[in-house]
Amino acid sequence: MISHIFVLVLFSALVSIFFGVLTRDTLHEGARISVILFLSMVGVSLALAYIMAPFPLR
Amino acid sequence: MSPLRTLLACTLAWLVPGGGHLYLKRPFKGVTFFCLVLLTFFLGLSLHGRAYLVDDEQPLLSALATFANVGAGPLDLLARTWTYQELAYRLPPDGQPGHDELQARMRARVLEPSYEYGTTFILTAGLMNILLILDAFDIAIGRKD
Repeated sequence: MISHIFVLVLFSALVSIFFGVLTRDTLHEGARISVILFLSMVGVSLALAYIMAPFPLR
Repeated sequence: MSPLRTLLACTLAWLVPGGGHLYLKRPFKGVTFFCLVLLTFFLGLSLHGRAYLVDDEQPLLSALATFANVGAGPLDLLARTWTYQELAYRLPPDGQPGHDELQARMRARVLEPSYEYGTTFILTAGLMNILLILDAFDIAIGRKD
């Protein structure tokens, strides 16, 4: 059985590391941007899921 | 850097994720991008994702998605062979030869619960590689350090 939260965390981690390395030249700065992006992606996704939860599926 | 070397850097970036950065003497970035793009792509395949086909019923969206897939370079050939057992880029119109076979192979993946995730991962790997080509271009022409 697929874990949706695991896929969300995995996807966010891959994308945030990618943009951290792409947009910054130093390891420290890249890591900082990656952490900020990762927390933002997971946080916003969970917040949207929480807001949408009361809505019916159909 | 000469236009020929810029072209070579961009071509290498398309052929091998991170290859352009390796050629431009950025080994850390090159190896990191190689690992990230390949990991994203193969996770997509393992989650039953598929490569998109240009479909006449949704021409713009399907063409953009197919372009994003092709951005992954030779990996896209693998995704297409994996998904359709052939190198298909266009879904023939309904009633034309090949339409039913391709659609049946597509539907076999759509029925998997992780299909949407897998397809997103494969698309993302292609888009990442397109960004890497543009980044290699910027570095090669001196717009970026």
